[in-house]
Amino acid sequence: MVPLTFFLKVMMRPTGIVALRALPQSKMRTALRYVPPTTLIGAISYPLHHLSGNRAETVYDRKTVKSTADGIRNLFEWVTIKTIGKPRLYGALLKINKTHRGELQTAVTSFPFAVMYGSGDSTITAVYLVNGEELSKGPYTMKDLERAAWGITRLGSRESVVSVENVETGKAEISEASSAETSYAFPFKGFEVQGRGTLQSVVDWRSGIGDYSSAKRIVMFYPEDTVKVRGELRTATVGGETLVLAP
Amino acid sequence: MFLSVGVRFEANVEALNMVETAGNYSKHRRVPYLVEEDGRLKTVYVPALSGESLAHAYQEHLVREALGLGLPVCDDCRRDEFYKSMNKVHLKKKVNPIPDDPRDIEIAIVRSCVVEDVGGFLYAEKPPVRRSSAFQVSYALPVKSVALFATSEPQLHARHAQMDSSSKKGNASEQMIYYVETGTALYGFTFNLDLDAIGVSAITSEPILDEDEIKTRREAALRALFRMLSSAQFGAKLSRFFPVGGITEVAVAVTEHPFVVTSPIYDDYIARTERRLKVLEGLGENYLFAVATGEKVPEEALKEAMDYLREQGAF
Repeated sequence: MVPLTFFLKVMMRPTGIVALRALPQSKMRTALRYVPPTTLIGAISYPLHHLSGNRAETVYDRKTVKSTADGIRNLFEWVTIKTIGKPRLYGALLKINKTHRGELQTAVTSFPFAVMYGSGDSTITAVYLVNGEELSKGPYTMKDLERAAWGITRLGSRESVVSVENVETGKAEISEASSAETSYAFPFKGFEVQGRGTLQSVVDWRSGIGDYSSAKRIVMFYPEDTVKVRGELRTATVGGETLVLAP
Repeated sequence: MFLSVGVRFEANVEALNMVETAGNYSKHRRVPYLVEEDGRLKTVYVPALSGESLAHAYQEHLVREALGLGLPVCDDCRRDEFYKSMNKVHLKKKVNPIPDDPRDIEIAIVRSCVVEDVGGFLYAEKPPVRRSSAFQVSYALPVKSVALFATSEPQLHARHAQMDSSSKKGNASEQMIYYVETGTALYGFTFNLDLDAIGVSAITSEPILDEDEIKTRREAALRALFRMLSSAQFGAKLSRFFPVGGITEVAVAVTEHPFVVTSPIYDDYIARTERRLKVLEGLGENYLFAVATGEKVPEEALKEAMDYLREQGAF
């Protein structure tokens, strides 16, 4: 029997840029080119919490400070994205205010971000595979998740506003395969890949969202178009498209 | 309630967002724009306004509107210096001694300043306290279909000084030339405002203020947006480079939960937003969608949204 799991496929249009800091608390001089899974969880967490009237952003657990997005990460078995268009990293200059030895000063710094802006239509499609068991234990329903998906307002920080153009729901078929063709990002571990793409080290969201300083990281392959992947694969078919899941 | 606004404005000969000077040359902010030519991508740079710049302008208007409604604004924000309680030095102006509990810190800040309530803050000390901005604003970028017509060109200016007889060059008139890069484009940007976040704790979800004050603060936040768009008071160098043109189109969506209008940098943004709102209706959600194109002026669409929000009891 083929295992089935609910999915949300969310197609988004950026308003021009996507600001994704590679490391929180860094000096903001590095950025990610592609949207990492942690950002996708954070992006849906805000509208989902909005539905239940939960305005909390930060959880203080003794000396640990965490994002409330951590509380919903178990609702998902896997999250990934497909990017149409080639993001370009660009560092705009900003004037900032800072304190130096107790004195306020102004300084100039750069704030890099990925530019998703060009003559073609750049789109980002996120897929969330839902953990039905976890969903049934909590306060949210599949309809809430669907509404939350329509309510994603931004990916990353600051000016990274997006509009959700389409949300598709259904059941994904999970199976095993020796090869697959995919346009979605997948963990680059022991697979042979044929095609163009970018490798990016990202926080493994399954180990927790909150304290990134010691978080486990995974290397993801973000295809430029469609790539062929070979190996011992676990795949999911989502609305006619294939995802390669973590081994 | 959640408000999302798509704005298109025409700006000819503007210097709304200058980023650096090299000698006597002031540069306009530019971003790369990717175009496809003969199957290969190439990059051209187009003028842009950062969301930070627009957000700063909005918060300046918020200060004036909040003060006009008798609401509290801290000393830093009154001077349009939005340090946002970033450290002990600034927080002590609001609460001294500083409490240990992050909840008490947030309460002290929100109670004493509307701008930090609406615009968020990050107290980067121990314990760190963070409050995300209730409003979000995108970059203003040239509308895609006409972006290649956007230009940024340096304009030559001269500054004159009368030299007196004691100067080295005697009694001659001196002039100093300088260049200001001016942009011309049809821009689009998106502005979102989460009214439910105002006056409510980002730690406990509990209201920090009484209902009347929350409603008055929401009104101030809406008025500030209205004022910013209606007066075209955003961006830099307005005194000598006030852009020729004005707001050409506005699309306003008011929904119960977060929803973003399709970015006005796309030509089909109004039709797409309408179709997407129909889906929300199918999910059982009420909404208002007001558009100002052609005969309707932006102020009419914004007023329609404010009237709707008032009817819904948001303020």
